[in-house]
Amino acid sequence: MRLVLSLISLFAAGSVAAQDVPRAASGRPDLQGIWQVVERAGYDLEAHAARHDMKAGLSVVDGGEIPYQPWAAAQKAENFASRATADPLASCYLPGVPRVMALDYPFQIFQTDDQVALTFEWQQVYRLIYVSDEPSPYAGVESWMGHSRGRWDGDVFVVDVTDQNDRTWLDSAGNFHSAAMQVTERFRLEDSDTLAYEATIDDPDVFTRPWTLRLTMKRQSHGDRLLEYQCQAEKEEANGAFERDERTWYPAPVPDDGVAFDADAGIDLPLPAAGEDVRRLADGTPDISGWYMADGGGANYGLEAHPGHELLPPSRGHVVDPADGTLPYRTWARAERIEREMPYRGYDDPTAHCFVAGLPRSHYVPAPFFVVQTPTHVVFLHERMAWRLIRLDGEFLPDTIRLWQGDSIGRWEGDSLVVESRNFNGKAWLNETGDVISHMETLVETYTPVSPTQVHYRATVTDPIPYTRPWTMEMPFNHMDDELLEVACLEDNNDLQHLKDVRDEHRASQNQGD
Amino acid sequence: MQRLGKAALTILGIVTTCIANTASAHHAFAAEFDREKPVSLRGRVTEMRWANPHAWIYIDVENDDGSVTNWALETRAANNLIRLGWRREDLPAGTELVVEAWQARNDTPTASIESVTFSDGRSLFVGSPDQPQP
Repeated sequence: MRLVLSLISLFAAGSVAAQDVPRAASGRPDLQGIWQVVERAGYDLEAHAARHDMKAGLSVVDGGEIPYQPWAAAQKAENFASRATADPLASCYLPGVPRVMALDYPFQIFQTDDQVALTFEWQQVYRLIYVSDEPSPYAGVESWMGHSRGRWDGDVFVVDVTDQNDRTWLDSAGNFHSAAMQVTERFRLEDSDTLAYEATIDDPDVFTRPWTLRLTMKRQSHGDRLLEYQCQAEKEEANGAFERDERTWYPAPVPDDGVAFDADAGIDLPLPAAGEDVRRLADGTPDISGWYMADGGGANYGLEAHPGHELLPPSRGHVVDPADGTLPYRTWARAERIEREMPYRGYDDPTAHCFVAGLPRSHYVPAPFFVVQTPTHVVFLHERMAWRLIRLDGEFLPDTIRLWQGDSIGRWEGDSLVVESRNFNGKAWLNETGDVISHMETLVETYTPVSPTQVHYRATVTDPIPYTRPWTMEMPFNHMDDELLEVACLEDNNDLQHLKDVRDEHRASQNQGD
Repeated sequence: MQRLGKAALTILGIVTTCIANTASAHHAFAAEFDREKPVSLRGRVTEMRWANPHAWIYIDVENDDGSVTNWALETRAANNLIRLGWRREDLPAGTELVVEAWQARNDTPTASIESVTFSDGRSLFVGSPDQPQP
């Protein structure tokens, strides 16, 4: 009798669990939501007492200890001793997998039948997992985060991670691996608020056998979107390497130059019609998901049409309103824009520091991007390692929360995705040439698919600090069947020191002249 | 090998300046490298960093006095090269290269590549710069 009861209760527990988890239209468990790790494994995967800036925690490794080869155990001890400077995360470098999963920051999962995207608050890192049995077209190309291919094994999402380089650690305690490491991850919803995660590490160059770590992710209910933690930008602002611009950064005021901002100025521009053969979802909504490259036409070197000269490559011009293609600059901002062409200002471009490009620049940096589209979100994953989340419902963040990528809320109007964005921090430039934007930027964008392989993009910028009226730019985005690579910008940035030298030399000469 | 003489540099400078307007020019380039400082280098690869937004080739160049300088040469984004089909194994250490480049404004042995060929004249990394090409 006892046995029968036990069997019944086991069966009941199993079926309840299976029914309880949220499911996608496909019937697969729906992993979407904002999650954060419970364990203190980001500090040390093994059992550890608290230390300065390190919370105590139990081991998350099966069997308790990581099975190092003797030489590797010695290397780990050396890493531990020098962790304050040797830890790649101390330099804000990409964390690799599985370390990124154990960071003490929230991340959000977006899921379709073809992709699972993980966006992390930390440094706006993301993972794009292709649900595919095919190997990556770029298999063999090493990167910090590797290539991830996912497949469903019943209710478990299994991900193979390959081609990671040997420059990442597994935690802050110096646990490490080689470039031979293969990681197999398993994501399983235990209940609607608990995501069980495990990663099996197979690296015969460092360990005596494959081993497994297990983490618990809890659903986060505080807020409905991720915020930003730009590790490197925060560091450089704190140590003075990246200097505040009082004219554009939040909360700079509108300049008192006697010219009123004409918010009503502007041409009525009709949207192009969607092509008849554009891709559509089952419910008829246009499908704009996939890989894109902007037909940038020199936008990263200026949004106004100009021929090239020694300091500036050409641009075909992208401004459609005002009709003459000229940006409606205030006097100070035009002068600033021209000065930003000078070599000694190259250091001031935030992307030279590998910071996030902001909007609309993220589209034409120039680097490709990948769109993941769900019924509730449209997510842009930019190859220059940054994400942008568009909620299709919700309210804007409080005014005091200022972000590099702003806060975006979108809606489908006919066949166009219309997105409004605000809450920018005013730290970005619109391109390398330095077209000016401030924290008062509000952005209205439309994405209209005009063919199966092209999206028409339009952005209207309203920003009374540098401009006297709103203006509008347009640009086509071309869709192809391709996958993203990884731009680990900060990790190999040899240019910034040169730009700093040029800037410092200029400043020294100015000071001598005083 | 060795750096070319001053006269050759000047001539190369004129030729390459004409090409440069359609090549790797951009603002960061202008800030970092100097069009008044063209260099012609011949040497052997010591390392290539497949980095973004710019990959770097390091070559040992023998100077006129017999000493050797390791030059850091900036080229296109690794991702552009990968999408064009280039892979790490295509440029092993020891490969001899002939490079036309613009030296950094800060006068270090650093330069931005204008053109690069194998010693048999084949071009390395063909394609237009700064445009990812799937």
